[in-house]
Amino acid sequence: MASHFSGVLQLTDLDDFITPSQECVKPVKIEKKPGRSVAKIRIEDDGTYIQVNSPGDVQKLEKAKITLNDCLACSGCITSAESVLITQQSHEELLRVLNENKTGLHQKVIVVSVSPQSRASLAAKFHLSVTDTAKKLSAFFKSLGVHHVFDTTFARNFSLLECQQEFVERFQRQAEDSKAFPMLASSCPGWICYAEKTHGDFILPYISTTRSPQQVMGSLVKDYFAKQQNLRPEQIYHITIMPCYDKKLEASRPDFYLSESQTREVDCVITSGEVLQLLEQEGVSLAEVDPVPLDALYVSSCGSMDGDKIFSHAGGGSGGYLEHVYVYAAKELFGVEVKDIVYKVLKNKDFQEVTLEKEGETLLRFAIAYGFRNIQNLVQKLKRGKSPYHFVEVMACPSGCLNGGGQIRANTGETSKELLQRVEELYNSVQTEIPKKNTAVAELYRTWLESIGPQEARRLLYTQYHAVEKSTSNLAIKW
Amino acid sequence: MKDSLKLLTRFSAHPDSRCWFVAWNPNGTLLASCGGDRAVRVWGREGDSWVCKSVLSEGHQRTVRKVAWSPCGNYLASASFDATTCIWKKQQDTFECVTTLEGHENEVKCVSWAPSGNLLATCSRDKSVWVWEVDEEDEYECVSVVNSHTQDVKHVIWHPNQELLASCSYDNTVKIYKEDDDDWICLDTLEGHESTVWSVDFDKSGQRLASCSDDKTVKIWREYLPGNEQGVVCKGSDPCWKSICTLSGFHTRTIYDISWCHLTNVIATACGDDAIRVFEEDAASDPHQPIFRLMAHVPKAHSQDVNCAAWNPKEGGLLASCSDDGEIGIWLYEPQN
Repeated sequence: MASHFSGVLQLTDLDDFITPSQECVKPVKIEKKPGRSVAKIRIEDDGTYIQVNSPGDVQKLEKAKITLNDCLACSGCITSAESVLITQQSHEELLRVLNENKTGLHQKVIVVSVSPQSRASLAAKFHLSVTDTAKKLSAFFKSLGVHHVFDTTFARNFSLLECQQEFVERFQRQAEDSKAFPMLASSCPGWICYAEKTHGDFILPYISTTRSPQQVMGSLVKDYFAKQQNLRPEQIYHITIMPCYDKKLEASRPDFYLSESQTREVDCVITSGEVLQLLEQEGVSLAEVDPVPLDALYVSSCGSMDGDKIFSHAGGGSGGYLEHVYVYAAKELFGVEVKDIVYKVLKNKDFQEVTLEKEGETLLRFAIAYGFRNIQNLVQKLKRGKSPYHFVEVMACPSGCLNGGGQIRANTGETSKELLQRVEELYNSVQTEIPKKNTAVAELYRTWLESIGPQEARRLLYTQYHAVEKSTSNLAIKW
Repeated sequence: MKDSLKLLTRFSAHPDSRCWFVAWNPNGTLLASCGGDRAVRVWGREGDSWVCKSVLSEGHQRTVRKVAWSPCGNYLASASFDATTCIWKKQQDTFECVTTLEGHENEVKCVSWAPSGNLLATCSRDKSVWVWEVDEEDEYECVSVVNSHTQDVKHVIWHPNQELLASCSYDNTVKIYKEDDDDWICLDTLEGHESTVWSVDFDKSGQRLASCSDDKTVKIWREYLPGNEQGVVCKGSDPCWKSICTLSGFHTRTIYDISWCHLTNVIATACGDDAIRVFEEDAASDPHQPIFRLMAHVPKAHSQDVNCAAWNPKEGGLLASCSDDGEIGIWLYEPQN
């Protein structure tokens, strides 16, 4: 396959063959300066474009560049052109930054935040336990010159807690808000991008506005951690390790750009597969790396980041949004203590339902919908007013995040299904915790988020979506 | 040779527009056509002439590219450049749009009904092939979206008696799909054409497939099962498809459509050189290297590109064609010995 993005994004007119000179509309945009008269453009022998202004002065024209940001704002294609990704979001970019630190060109504090899905993928690749993988991965990054290595599971506590809160708020306003339900999960950037480009204002109100773990991590690192370390946000270079290429697009969203300090909350996203490339490039086998203790983002005696133990959340490799919201809502809204969660497989294994019933009445109906076909049926049901759901955990990839497009591919001798099963087992081998019971998280709510005020806290934990206007061009018509 | 394909009648079907495609209903009594005028028309024979029985003009905002009848003959599906597919239910002579299938990102190029009538396939410029499932209440759900082609998908067609699907594309390939677990996967990619493959059609048995292309050739492909005597290498337990014949030198422009008659085994092509051609298999030739002979060639079959050729499913030798000139031609093929 030519593209690494999720199938959903590929369908949203992802065009691997587009370079800024072809069908992309970006280079057409010309900065008009007032007072200029007509100029001519001359093409030199070496292919450069020279603008000749009327008095005769010449000026070399710059090549048009597209950024991931341009792609997000445009209704045309999303390019996966290597040139665009490599200039902003790749392990090459990480090496460049590390090198600048070594040569003293720029000095930045370099932070890597590892997602639990990527960790499970690397653990499966090197036949290691998840804990060993975490410690060896930390050691490897530190050997390259990275200063801190964190775990995005810590950030996910906030995502889950806020998601639960948002659900209950929606439940309370459902009488006056026709788009309160179903609440659709928000952590999958492929899904968000598809929703913005394809279903726009119709679908966006349904989507939870809670930030994904990656972007909560962005807030934690560039706000909380920066303040702790007496650093400005732009003095930190923040890299996340993700199971998914679409996360690169998420990090590039203008909503996560701190314009005051001209820096992104997540500067660079590297996939699990790219970490493997990086290891190979450095000639390192992860299995042979000597482990180091894990960093704690927040030092707390009984917190989840106590240096030696890692934690996870219940509810599967896509983050457990359904389970956490379900359990919380059942208790909060109906006083029901949920013991077991029974999934009912509907059309296929990627479309399952969970219902809360009391005295024959269905109180809550939740679902997971993974992969494009199930997203499609969900959206069509919504459009026809036939969706029976209160909450849907939507993920673009079939089988969810552990099967993300950025995960390490199966080697010969193992099918991709077998590999996925091992990755799932490893992911599920980690002890789970309940976000509400994490004292470090509670402490941050009490101190950091309290100190910045509710408005700022909201900005750091929530986001917003933007419908992309469709532009139709008949130039591209093909019979 | 020319006389073996005789024009029975010709009529204007989509005036001042192009007629893109024609499809016979399963019992061969009605012909549906679609065109650039966004309409679908249904034609019936009355004596020697063909009259318009219904006009389905309210369904689509843009060109209707293809139409397909359900195996029971009670439903008609229309694929449009407005990115939707309409399902029309037949009630006597009128048709009512019962569902609009949305989801493709842009132009839907083709639609096809599986022999069971429970599955429908669509394909689009968005490079994807979708499989839909129909329930008793005319509700359609998408069961799979396959992103296997790398370019615009031009045509989809189901195997005549198995749940296998074939598609062809601007990426010069033909692909074969099957159900796997609870999803659909591409089990073989047929490479060989040097330009866009515009259409494909199975023979009656479904063991052979004919494809036509912008490279001005027709290719015949044959299915080989694993462990076949001919030594054709298959991947795993899936059958594979191999090109066993290429018809080149006959067509002077893009071949837009191909129809393999399930009654008489002859092949008709619709070509951008305005001609219709009919090929017959030499019965004495090796089934693994068959020879097809040109039996009929009508150079000016239409005044512009011929977009489609379709054999009547019940009346051997009866062929319908349509063209950019907006007209439909009805032809009779009578082999001359």
